[in-house]
Amino acid sequence: MKISIRNVVVKAVLGAALLGMTPAVFAQSVCLPAPRLLTTMPMGGKAGTQVEITIAGDHLEDAAELSFSDPRLTATRKLDAAGKPEANKYVVSIPADCPVGVYEARVMTRLGMSSSRVFSVGSLTEVTQSKPNTSLATAIELPMNSVCNAVISARAVDHYSFEAKKGQRVIVDCATRGIDSKLDATVIIADAAGRDLLVERRGGVLDFIVPADGKYVIKLHELTYKGGREFYYRLGLWQQPTGTPIVRQPLTKTVNSFSWPPVGLPEKAVLVEAEPNNAGDKAQKISLPCDVAGAFFPAADVDVFEFEAKKGEEWWIEVGSERFGLPTDPSVLVQHVAKTPEGEKLTDVAEFSDIPSPVKVSSNGYAYDGPPYNAGSADVLGKLAIKEDGLHRLQLTDLFGGTRTDARNVYRLVVRKAAPDFALVAWALHMELRNGDRNALSKPLALRGGATMALEVIAIRRDGFDGDIELSMSGLPDGVTATGLKILKGQSRGLLLVSANQNAPRGLASATFVGRAEINGANVSHPVALASMAWPIPDAWGEFPAPRLMADVPVSVSGIDLAPLTIAPQGGGPFEANVGDKLTIPLFMTRRSEFSGATMELRTAGDGIERVPVFNLPLTADQSQAVIDLGALKTQPGNYMIAFYGGAVAKYRHNPEAVGVAEAIKQKAMQDVTTIEAELKKATDEAQAAATEKKAEADKLVADTTARLTAAKAALTAADAQLKQATTTAQPRDIVDIVVSEPIAIKVKAPAK
Amino acid sequence: MPSLRFHWLSMLLLFVGWSISPLSSLSAADRPMSFTNDVMPVLTKAGCNVGLCHAKAGGGQNGFQLSVLGFEVREDYEHLVHEGRGRRISATEPESSLLLRKASGQMPHGGGIRLSANSEGYNIVREWLQQGAQFSVPNEPHLVSFQVQPNRGTVPMKSQVQLKATAKFSDGSERDVTSLSVYEPNDVAMAEATETGLVKVLDISGKFSVMARYQGRFAVFSASVPLGAPVESLPASKNFVDDLVFANLKELGIPPSAICDDATFLRRVLLDIGGRLPSDEEAKAFLGSTAPDKRDAVIEDLLRSPDYADFFANKWTALLKNRRDDASDIISNFAFYAWVRDSLLANKKYDQFVRELLASTGTVIGNPPVAWYKRVKEPKEQIEDVAQLFLGVRMQCAQCHHHPFERWSQDDYYSLAAFFTQVGRKPSGVRGEDLIFHKRGIAAATNIKSGVALKPAALGDAIPPIPADEDPRLKLADWLSNSSNPFFARALVNRYWKHFFQRGLIEPEDDIRDSNPPTNPELLAALEKHFVASGFDLKELVRTITRSNAYQLSSTPNQHNVVDRQNYSRYYPRRLQAEVMLDAIDRLAGTQTDFANLPPGTRAVALPDNSYNRQSPFLRVFGRPEGESVCECERVQTSSLAQSLHLINAPDIKAKLASASGRAARLSKDTRPPEERVRELYLAAFAREPRSVELQTALGFLSETGTSANDNYQDLIWALINTKEFLFNH
Repeated sequence: MKISIRNVVVKAVLGAALLGMTPAVFAQSVCLPAPRLLTTMPMGGKAGTQVEITIAGDHLEDAAELSFSDPRLTATRKLDAAGKPEANKYVVSIPADCPVGVYEARVMTRLGMSSSRVFSVGSLTEVTQSKPNTSLATAIELPMNSVCNAVISARAVDHYSFEAKKGQRVIVDCATRGIDSKLDATVIIADAAGRDLLVERRGGVLDFIVPADGKYVIKLHELTYKGGREFYYRLGLWQQPTGTPIVRQPLTKTVNSFSWPPVGLPEKAVLVEAEPNNAGDKAQKISLPCDVAGAFFPAADVDVFEFEAKKGEEWWIEVGSERFGLPTDPSVLVQHVAKTPEGEKLTDVAEFSDIPSPVKVSSNGYAYDGPPYNAGSADVLGKLAIKEDGLHRLQLTDLFGGTRTDARNVYRLVVRKAAPDFALVAWALHMELRNGDRNALSKPLALRGGATMALEVIAIRRDGFDGDIELSMSGLPDGVTATGLKILKGQSRGLLLVSANQNAPRGLASATFVGRAEINGANVSHPVALASMAWPIPDAWGEFPAPRLMADVPVSVSGIDLAPLTIAPQGGGPFEANVGDKLTIPLFMTRRSEFSGATMELRTAGDGIERVPVFNLPLTADQSQAVIDLGALKTQPGNYMIAFYGGAVAKYRHNPEAVGVAEAIKQKAMQDVTTIEAELKKATDEAQAAATEKKAEADKLVADTTARLTAAKAALTAADAQLKQATTTAQPRDIVDIVVSEPIAIKVKAPAK
Repeated sequence: MPSLRFHWLSMLLLFVGWSISPLSSLSAADRPMSFTNDVMPVLTKAGCNVGLCHAKAGGGQNGFQLSVLGFEVREDYEHLVHEGRGRRISATEPESSLLLRKASGQMPHGGGIRLSANSEGYNIVREWLQQGAQFSVPNEPHLVSFQVQPNRGTVPMKSQVQLKATAKFSDGSERDVTSLSVYEPNDVAMAEATETGLVKVLDISGKFSVMARYQGRFAVFSASVPLGAPVESLPASKNFVDDLVFANLKELGIPPSAICDDATFLRRVLLDIGGRLPSDEEAKAFLGSTAPDKRDAVIEDLLRSPDYADFFANKWTALLKNRRDDASDIISNFAFYAWVRDSLLANKKYDQFVRELLASTGTVIGNPPVAWYKRVKEPKEQIEDVAQLFLGVRMQCAQCHHHPFERWSQDDYYSLAAFFTQVGRKPSGVRGEDLIFHKRGIAAATNIKSGVALKPAALGDAIPPIPADEDPRLKLADWLSNSSNPFFARALVNRYWKHFFQRGLIEPEDDIRDSNPPTNPELLAALEKHFVASGFDLKELVRTITRSNAYQLSSTPNQHNVVDRQNYSRYYPRRLQAEVMLDAIDRLAGTQTDFANLPPGTRAVALPDNSYNRQSPFLRVFGRPEGESVCECERVQTSSLAQSLHLINAPDIKAKLASASGRAARLSKDTRPPEERVRELYLAAFAREPRSVELQTALGFLSETGTSANDNYQDLIWALINTKEFLFNH
């Protein structure tokens, strides 16, 4: 009790102190309705088969076509016996040549394309949890070489059984976090009586040599016994020859994997580390440049390499390991080795550990203090400047490897001459909307007409590259444009604005998102990896975000729903001013909703002009203006692209057109009832008057008509309920969300001489 | 902290009421008085420098501060002579000195009379004052050794032994310091010691020791008190445990009880290894078996079972402070508990288990022992816990002063702390949790007193220089698991011995020191050797102990061994632990206790952390620990009125008895003859058949009319729960 009360008090205090928004914000929810595909059941299928799936999620009303990040995967609506599409059911066709892997599934809705959910394609027999199996007695029998799609309940332990022969090598691999599930699984192999034999709790795989012929049991639960629809899993069970490497079920990629590998790195390393190389006197000789593959194995492994280098040389060292999705923390130490009569004299030359995130990462506290995406890594990337001629020793260790003996913790060490380059990652821009609420983090790129969404783009720069990086997106749906607010020289953050015009039709496209730069006179272009959250998080206090990389960049437009507010520069720009002037930008607001509060605060983004002080925009007028003091900002002559953004509380009506539809249905139902009542009266009268030989026929008509009336009344009741629900849903509700202006071009001119 | 407080309290109690009696025969004026060799021993013996009197660590009454037990003589001299504007002493009028007037009660003194006027101590101090109250005298020798004679022996009950304490000095001289030494027996039920070194042996046979202290040194008198009864027959020896236990009994003349019967053995071993009662089927099968090795087979089966892992994980997680202070701790606590439990299930070798804990790196989810660093944050806390838990050494005292009963100095303390000074932390993605890694650098910890930065050293053992790149914690783990380590294996075998025998070979089990010798040193050494030779195999240790006939002795005493409390001549009954008792009641009542977040049917011994104590008055009343301390003493095993009332009348017990799906409800509807139903109850409660008289009593009770059959069964179960046979492992 004490703790929960304390939490409430702390939350209240933080809420009041840190919100920094108008008081009206307190009462509303966060993030306009966004379509989110949250679960599919099953979560995958076998290549070369068709699989029926049921989907569920948020705002999936009117869900239409289901599509995938790979066009080889297709889906059709499942039809009922009458040939009508069944709600939320699809038949997915997986061609035989579809590679084993994870793909993104998503569904088109009236609000645009939903957020995506992993759909796995495998090569084993697919099984679906068919009944509750929370005890030994109700264990589901799993065939060998199969994958079971299942969901765990709270405070439950799922049970499976399998038959195996003595000496068989059996692999049990449970895919969870890597297929977007919230499950931290504990997987246990037990004997037939349910007594634990082998346990895995860290997401690893169970590699089990069967001790005797017979039945075995797999028990599975969440680490803290949480459960529910978000806690799903694919439990793989297969036999494998002894001595062969285990290939686990495919999983999504971590966000920071976007910066690996460096462009042009061959798939296989040139060298392999040669143990024992654990000490200076056993160092492995290498010459620079080099590319070595190795492993942090066994526990407390130290790998030492030696090379000759000359004073003034500059090398770049990069290590990949954590970015492979491994729980490692590589660290590199380079020392100069001088041989003296007393022995070796070692002088530290450089030490490398993490690749820091270029922007502050969220501390996962109650208040939003940065994006919960880490573009940095525990890997290594840095410059080695040789200060003295001679022998150098490079020592590579895993800071997390002191007591862990696991040969799967591999690394790749690259030492190269400078190859300036960059890698980019992006995610939906977030800002503080309400303490503790991270719902808006999992937005799909589904645009309402008249809306602009901003993506935050982060660069990891390699080997000294510090030039501008231009951002662009192409291959967009009709009526959608994208504008990059470039990453400036020496900086790491830019924005990309995606805007749908008010009349943009319903549409979907897989866009191409790239960053371009000039490096050593050559134009270089790289794709921007898109990251997203697996789940919306309404309570950051109780749950931490689960970010991952997406397979593609889907952009869609609702074609029906419109943004509550569009902020656009009048006349389109570019707006010109001289250095040191105050530049006034007239703004035009298109309001399609009422708002809470009379004003909203706007911040400025882009091109070094973000230091414009926060200013208020009226929410009751159609026009306003922004004033930029170029003198105060010391803005130099040139062309700039900026945008304004802030949080506004709209009185949003969700799916108002559903009210009209429901009203029409109800009208028709009422009419049907009236008509059938008249028919029944007529039939009853006729039956009473009917001659004996016609009596049976007339009575049957009365009975049939009575049944039709009952059905019609039921339909009316249903229509009434539908109308009530639609009316309730369409009631204006206060919802806060980010509003981003359309991009604004500025031209700053040098003063006339 | 509680242990520290206890420590001071015990020190205070030790000295209250003690004062040096007059010894007018000795003239102190014959030689120059030394502050170090004469005055400080007097003050120490008078108890001036203990915790709540004038010890600096205890605050020092009225601003007069002395180092604890006189380990910092120079500082003490300064405090006494120069502080307080020099008013504490008067060289010109020694008897007017505040020091003497207060200590002798001539002025009001909160500590009472400590040095009677004209006592030997009084005269020494007066003489020293008269001689000018110098810190040292010319050519002053220093103490080089301290002995007590006799240092061991066999002594009859109700006898007396006069100890003689001798100090040797650097000039070759020897002094009888018997009257200036302090004496402390380790077991006051067995022996008392006067201030003059006279040891009075009481009427309990066994082993005891008396520690004598003088000037920061100590010497020990170890005594064996035979009972002297004829030991005509001993159970057969099954292993070295039996050899050494029975040899000791023979030496002491204590005839052991007989081997316990099968039902008692089964119940005992299941409770001790698996923390649970036998099931009806297990009890029937075991009692019906005629296999000669059926006891060994039960032990093997238990060691393979998850029950063993659950029960010992419960023990270890409390000691490792797996405590839920905030709701968000649940993930790290469950992960840590699971790591301990899985390690035990897989029979991870103990040295590897400790290595993975001490040198853990990474995140809690990726590497759960990291959670220990979430609970135990500072190097000081880390070494104190490591020393007490894994070495059986209490280092807390040595942080501020030389350990009073031990050889550990502040340098030892900070050298040990140095192993943990390179633990790096960086924020993880999880709020409130750090990533733990080895921070490159040369490990060193600064002795706060001397200001000297000390490199890692392990309790007197030098450790080769640790390069900046190497994690010192791994070197500490290497040292621990070295087969010649004098502490690591000993501490563990003593802890486990206590688990099975209710009393450690050394008591308390985590206070192993030269001044606290084991009751059966040969046995402790043999267990230690066996454990090391097995590769620190915990299951093998449990197997060795529980297979022995010594473990399988009956708890029923014979005419001779009823007073034996330390020689294992019989099994010492112990009240069931809180969790075990709750599970046992559930088992007998045919119910389950529901625990938040855990699957229905989870046993109380498998609870991952202390948070469940909040929701369960039962667990609190019966002393389930909160994970605050590394001391097993945090688990309260004593009896209380609240416990009795709880068992008799608490709502949770009543609800279990009255459960619609419980055993009482089921038995009341059972169509079997009442005899069979009573048999079932006795088998469930005691793993045995009812005796004839018990059966008749029960049947008579069940046949009473006026109450429902269900009520009768509830009452019968209630009565069984409230028997000592049920509540104790015996």
